[in-house]
Amino acid sequence: MIPNSKLDPRSKLSMVMSLSGMGVLINDIRIMIGILFITIIILKLLKVSILKILRKFKRILYMIVVLVIVQSIFFKGGNPIIAVGSVAIISDMGLQKAAAFALRIGIVIASASILTTSSYRDIVQGLVQWKMPYEIAFMVSVAIRFLPTFMEEFKDASVALQLRGVDFEKIPVKKKLTVYSYLFFPVVSNAILKAQELSIAMETRAFRAYPFRTSYLILKIKPLDYIIIAVSFFTAVAGITLYYT
Amino acid sequence: MDAVIVSHLYFRYPGKSQYVLEDINFALREGEITALMGMSGSGKSTLCRCISGIIPHVYKGDIKGNVEVLGKNILEMALPEIATKIGSVFQNPETQLFSPTVEDELAFGPENLCIEREEIGRRISEALRLVNMEDYRYSNPNQLSGGQKQLIAIASVLTLQPQILICDEIMSQIDKSGKKLIKSVLDSLKKQGKTMLLIDHDHKNLDIADKMLILKNNRIFEQ
Amino acid sequence: MNFKSDGAVMRRSIELNKISFSYNENQRLFESLSLVIYDGETTVILGRNGSGKTTLGKLIMGIIKPCKGNIVIFDEDSEKMNLGQKGQKIGYLFQNPSRQLFAATVYEELSFILELKGYEECMIEEQASKMMNLFQIEHLRGMSPFYLSGGEKQRLALAALLINNPGYLILDEPTTSLDPERKEILSKILKQYHDEGKGIMLITHDESFALTHAQRVIEIEGGMVTYDSKFET
Repeated sequence: MIPNSKLDPRSKLSMVMSLSGMGVLINDIRIMIGILFITIIILKLLKVSILKILRKFKRILYMIVVLVIVQSIFFKGGNPIIAVGSVAIISDMGLQKAAAFALRIGIVIASASILTTSSYRDIVQGLVQWKMPYEIAFMVSVAIRFLPTFMEEFKDASVALQLRGVDFEKIPVKKKLTVYSYLFFPVVSNAILKAQELSIAMETRAFRAYPFRTSYLILKIKPLDYIIIAVSFFTAVAGITLYYT
Repeated sequence: MDAVIVSHLYFRYPGKSQYVLEDINFALREGEITALMGMSGSGKSTLCRCISGIIPHVYKGDIKGNVEVLGKNILEMALPEIATKIGSVFQNPETQLFSPTVEDELAFGPENLCIEREEIGRRISEALRLVNMEDYRYSNPNQLSGGQKQLIAIASVLTLQPQILICDEIMSQIDKSGKKLIKSVLDSLKKQGKTMLLIDHDHKNLDIADKMLILKNNRIFEQ
Repeated sequence: MNFKSDGAVMRRSIELNKISFSYNENQRLFESLSLVIYDGETTVILGRNGSGKTTLGKLIMGIIKPCKGNIVIFDEDSEKMNLGQKGQKIGYLFQNPSRQLFAATVYEELSFILELKGYEECMIEEQASKMMNLFQIEHLRGMSPFYLSGGEKQRLALAALLINNPGYLILDEPTTSLDPERKEILSKILKQYHDEGKGIMLITHDESFALTHAQRVIEIEGGMVTYDSKFET
């Protein structure tokens, strides 16, 4: 085993849960900006390249922007900022709600990125030593391993469809939906096939033979880890309680 | 001595009227490499699954007849027990290797059987030695070549110390140099006394076999 | 096998001009590679996994972009064409057939591109049936491509490509899941394509299959052309 001087995965899991928990439960925009700021500092300390993450989530970013606009348009209430006649298109409360929504997603994605600094085997071991059933822990790690490829696959499917001779710029509007639906088939079917093959490979190597399993990997928890776990826990509890009182 | 005996095996998938396998009879002799050839879609993988216990434990279906592994009926054994007797290696390295390092991957099997750490360490070293990949113990399996990935897939099955290996088209996606690597490893495994069943549709991948079986029209023929 | 060209002026199908490409910062795969591929003949690109031959196909089709240099397809600058237009000029078969199967049934897989082009129903039926017969998949007509075996998927992907009647073919490892009988069928189809005067690029490590069809053999190793039969005396 390689001696590991990095943080125990459980410290990272604590940070993720604490930051995401606060991001989801707290609704004050100023506090949320603060939480996002702290998350980014932590990512920098862990030497995570923020640019890489932004690039990976470029596609989702577009979706979020659209959702944000839709949210702010359809929220009724508050004072209109942009209005057509007597119909409010964007209200100030709508914008606020949309901003909170965007910040929330940003905090969750950013804090989850903290986990990219540990190998997924480490994360499984951390979860298992926290008494999570190992089947669930493995499911989580397989998802982490294969999720990035999922997004790649959409892009690949789009390329492949075009190379079949489908010119995206020239499709009649009524056929656009069918054409885009064609993209789902290869991605979803590949995902199902992979999942099947993977589960067979794991089962033929005796996965789930017993309710527990040994681990070749040993996690070494150090004083710094205890401090981080404690700080994460107390900050989250204090923050959320203070917010709601 | 026969490591695996298949007698009067019939199988069809649920909801199908056609049998994929009809009256299959053959035996795998201990310490031999047996090749199984057949057209794609002929039922080779289905036969593999019946022998390795994937059918009926993972895939259900209408199964008749007998599969005996090292003297015991496969229907009487659960998958974990079968795993210590038969190891299966498949075509696609991507869905067999899911761990961040080679070491983690090789530890996976014995960990599932609650084998203690020191023994796992020994088995990992032994398996890596058998496939000549000792230098790659801490590598990321994703960064290896196709042939090397399959060697790690084989090694990850060897840590369970099965006596029998079933290789389902393991060289289909591999180039010439990778195939050479894999064939020489299979050869040395044979010298260790392992029994192997190699399935493929390309006879050039099967030239190291001692015996050749053909799966055609849902039946087995010897060549 | 005679690899020499017949001396007549041949139309250029694909031109790679000083192409540089790397997957990561450390290794340059292609360094100022220039290559001309001609129409009407079957060019075979041989090489091991990692030699760059699949990358070459991807660069030509615009799936990935070169760092430097440009690519010309049938006298048109490839940067001025979008992917759909390239797909209409060149039929490209992916190494993994699952990458290019999109429809709910085998029949729809063959028919949807003709439908989008505005063909008549009876015309589509005729073409699709012809293809299904040629590739021996007519019995799978109503099945979802999801349930096909590896070899059946490969045949379907090829059929779906050829039904569009592209003027040039690039096939990346078309024989991996094919048994000898079906390889024979593919051989016949490729021969027919060649007899109709269409050019083919065969990217493969299956030497024996490749050499039965090749008018030109190019070997690639480490991103460099190590052998080109056109320059053999």
